[in-house]
Amino acid sequence: MTRRWRDLPPAVAMLGASVLLLGVWTVYPLVRAIQNGHLRCDATGRRCRDAGWGQFSDVFMSNDFQHALGVTVKLVLLTVPAGLVLGVGLAVLADKHLRGIGVFRTIFSSTVATSVAVASLVWFVLLQPEIGVFSDLLSGWIPALKNPGLLRDPDTALPAVALSSIWASLGFTFIVITAGLQSVPKDLYESAYVDGAGGVRRFTNVTLPMLAPSMLFVTVVLTTRALQTYGEVALLTAGGPEPDKSTTTIPFLIYGRNSIIHNDLGLKSAAAVLLFLISLVFAVVQFRGLDKRVHYGR
Amino acid sequence: MQRITRTSHRGAAVAIAAAGLLAACSGGGSITSSGADATTTSAATEGSTGAGEVTTTVAESTTTVPVDTLPACDTAALESAGGPVEITFWHGMSGPLGEELTRLTDLYNASQDKVVVSLVEASYEETNDKFLQSDQDSRPDLVQMPEYMVQAAVDTDASIPVGQCITDAGFDTSAFLPSAMSAYATQGVQWAMPFNVSNPVLFYNKRIFEAAGLDPEVPPASLEDVRTMSQAIVDSGAGTYGIAVESGFDSGGGWYVEQWFAKAQQFYVDADNGRAGRATSVLYNDALGVEVMTWLQQMVTDGLAVNVGDNSASGYDNLLKMADAAQPAAMTIATSASLGPVLTVLGEGTYPHISASDVGVGPMPGPDGAPGALIGGAALWMMNHDDPVRAAATWDYVAYLVGAQQQAEWAVATGYVPVRTDARDLEPLAGTLAADPRFAVAYEQLLSAPDAPTSAGPVVGPLREIRTVLASTVAAVLAGADPATALDEAAAQSNDLIADYNARNS
Amino acid sequence: MAADVTTQASFGTTRGWRKAGRYALLTVIAAIVLFPIYAVLLQSLKSGKDSLDHPRSLLPVDLTLDTIRSAWTSGDLGRLMLNSLFVSGAVTLGVIVTSVLAAYAFAFLRFPGRDGVFVLFLATMLVPAEVTVVINQRTADSFGWINSYLGLIVPSLASTFGVFLVRQVFLQIPGELREAAALDGVGHMRFLWEVATPLSRPTLGALGLFTFLGSWNAYLWPSQVVTDEAHRTIQIGLERLKTPGDISKVNLVTGGLVVAALPIFVMLVAFQRQLVRGLTAGAVKG
Repeated sequence: MTRRWRDLPPAVAMLGASVLLLGVWTVYPLVRAIQNGHLRCDATGRRCRDAGWGQFSDVFMSNDFQHALGVTVKLVLLTVPAGLVLGVGLAVLADKHLRGIGVFRTIFSSTVATSVAVASLVWFVLLQPEIGVFSDLLSGWIPALKNPGLLRDPDTALPAVALSSIWASLGFTFIVITAGLQSVPKDLYESAYVDGAGGVRRFTNVTLPMLAPSMLFVTVVLTTRALQTYGEVALLTAGGPEPDKSTTTIPFLIYGRNSIIHNDLGLKSAAAVLLFLISLVFAVVQFRGLDKRVHYGR
Repeated sequence: MQRITRTSHRGAAVAIAAAGLLAACSGGGSITSSGADATTTSAATEGSTGAGEVTTTVAESTTTVPVDTLPACDTAALESAGGPVEITFWHGMSGPLGEELTRLTDLYNASQDKVVVSLVEASYEETNDKFLQSDQDSRPDLVQMPEYMVQAAVDTDASIPVGQCITDAGFDTSAFLPSAMSAYATQGVQWAMPFNVSNPVLFYNKRIFEAAGLDPEVPPASLEDVRTMSQAIVDSGAGTYGIAVESGFDSGGGWYVEQWFAKAQQFYVDADNGRAGRATSVLYNDALGVEVMTWLQQMVTDGLAVNVGDNSASGYDNLLKMADAAQPAAMTIATSASLGPVLTVLGEGTYPHISASDVGVGPMPGPDGAPGALIGGAALWMMNHDDPVRAAATWDYVAYLVGAQQQAEWAVATGYVPVRTDARDLEPLAGTLAADPRFAVAYEQLLSAPDAPTSAGPVVGPLREIRTVLASTVAAVLAGADPATALDEAAAQSNDLIADYNARNS
Repeated sequence: MAADVTTQASFGTTRGWRKAGRYALLTVIAAIVLFPIYAVLLQSLKSGKDSLDHPRSLLPVDLTLDTIRSAWTSGDLGRLMLNSLFVSGAVTLGVIVTSVLAAYAFAFLRFPGRDGVFVLFLATMLVPAEVTVVINQRTADSFGWINSYLGLIVPSLASTFGVFLVRQVFLQIPGELREAAALDGVGHMRFLWEVATPLSRPTLGALGLFTFLGSWNAYLWPSQVVTDEAHRTIQIGLERLKTPGDISKVNLVTGGLVVAALPIFVMLVAFQRQLVRGLTAGAVKG
């Protein structure tokens, strides 16, 4: 009892900076966003009038938001499973004491060095129909690469954005899963080997369960990145192609250059808060769903 | 893998089901009609206007704003300043444009000791956003804002109308291009000073014209001509497509449609294009609108035009299509400001099959070949800080920037059209126009605009958003949607946007 | 680690074939992963004209530094790099300090409500940037931090991820060590500085690397808080190179890409193993 209260002053001192920073720059904006979400203001953010809490559900139900929600969910489905499978596959592939394996590991991790801007621009340079490398080289086999180009075809634009995202996140996933693999105690493999388990069996019965915490972490991060996809869309497709707006994610709906709520503080705040709630739902689903399978050490 | 896959499948299934369920019960309209007190969605009507029902009352429209309600401008106040007055200018001129502005500003700063100007550069959008979201104290003395910002800027009550200074100083604007000045005037008030002016022109490949049996010195003047010439080009095999079209909101998808309405001397929005009072609805879903949309659609369907998309990627996808080696287009409409860069890059030999001398420039083709064009570009807005000295200093700089000599130099360095006719005959502009008459096309086009109220273009609060809506519609039409229906839907959505804007700004 | 039996294999046996197959697969995948970077790197080393001449543009011939030099000057990349370096360095330092302090409180101190506060900390990780950016921009404006280094640095100084990571590692330090030190009269700060921090060095290194990476690559917040050229960071500069408004400069963006990504790639190659080790130190188990 005395220990608990005695620790309070140093705790306050040590937590103080973080609490203050998070309070001002994360919690306060969330509170203000919720407050602003039921207002309608002019372009300067003044002359606000109360539009009621129903505005949140109006925004959610609106065609624009529903469309963006669909695009965003599709993006999650395109990038997260693929990113996870590729990351695990590559990490397992490179988890052997072969000569020169370090070079391969470095190459597979390399995309972690790319920012959203860099990765998107790399793929933009490759896919641009008029001057892109892929478009010129492969258009003989795949004419659609040039006319109209992957980024301008409503059916392929979102997968192209997803491709850029998956590639960019590959390094991060690889590093985290490799770290997870290296913390699997070797004696577990050996006892499985002694029990007569083959390579595949060892993978499913030893490796995967032990990787579960890392995989959960990767899934949560990849999902969060997918839900917050903005930069890739801004640089690759600008939310297009029109008129389907095939790549307009929720963040792009809020912040995009041509967004029709660009100057509406109330609607932007409402949409952002809704995005937060959606992220919350995804996180809870993932933690509850995958947490049962997670083994913590022994 | 089985266990993990199953649970993530389950999670995904839940997510999809939830999203599907919610999407299915969406009865929502546009996002901008959210919230209580929202205006009812306008019904999509056929016919000439798409006016719907509006529940909020709109301010009484007046034809002129009384002068005594406007901030004053005392241009003589600069004399009473103690030392040099420092003013700030937020502008959107990047690259070579910014370099020329910096050069002119440095010259100005060096030539006198009353005013010192510092420049802050950002993109048009960033500058607009900064302007809108800043407190008046954080705003600078001068802001450059593009032509679609007129109503939005007026509604902030932040500026000193340039007209006040013009009157106070007895500044002579008789040499200024009428359409450039009127573009930034509403209800009898000259709000801003035009500074950088452009308009759309037709770029065409003379070599392809010749090979197709067309006269390379005679570009098409009407939409019908474009069609006929494109047919000749495609039939002869000289080019794969006659013309490259796109649906960018600040070009083929939005702005050009406004141009065509002005050429045909029809209003684009009500209240005399928003200049006699506050606009409440768009007028573009009429016979003319359907006619131009149908023309666009049929050109693409018949293989005479190629759709390069919404031009969002590089901003010049249509020009690149003209330079495409394999499947070139012979013509495209682009802003006159692109002429200089186009000739430069072609001169470098980057695209060996089209040279700088192959490029022809003509006026923008329109319905029935009617002449004229609306100005593009931006204007200078003076900010009101209740400080007559700062205002006078700012006015001094503005007057300098639109001086005849400065405009002549500015036009040559940037490819913009000078805002005044007496700059045309000054060097270096006179020499440039004599050496390459292609640069004069945009200038002549502005002078040829009819003297009618429609030549000033539309002014309405959410003009940018309306262009976005229309651009989406043009994209749909180019992909095969029915023009009349698509236009009516666009009009309904545009009217919602206007009603919403007006409600938030009353 | 236990020796892997396959390392003893030699070519000619089934194990040898399997090893060759593994190498082949690794090489193919590495080529796929690396190809985009290779293509862009090569384009940046060619003149504007040559970079459009496919497929020759992919061959390491006709190389020139002109494009990169052009991008450097027209994008003023030197100053942008310095800005990014300064900001990212400051943020990294700050994040390590705040995370270590907060993690110590959660790991070694017992105060009322500790676990509840920690869960709240974790929850803040879910707040998306879209919610915070607009309001933060106004907050920064009211502090006068727009177009200043303070605006770029201060909001990023606290990191929930960092607190989480360091707390994991601190939890691995045996409680007896702490108690023994307490008996010797060693206070919190001394224990932190002399015992806890040195023991967590790999993880702190990994945190530093990830934080530097994240800050260097940041796009959304810097684009909101900085609009002038003096404080612009490299990622924003890249975006501006993409639409130069001048059709003759289409190739510049590749030069900028190389410049922007190069320092990070170098850091990654140098520190890749430490990064993995730092994460392995009990961090990601949950």
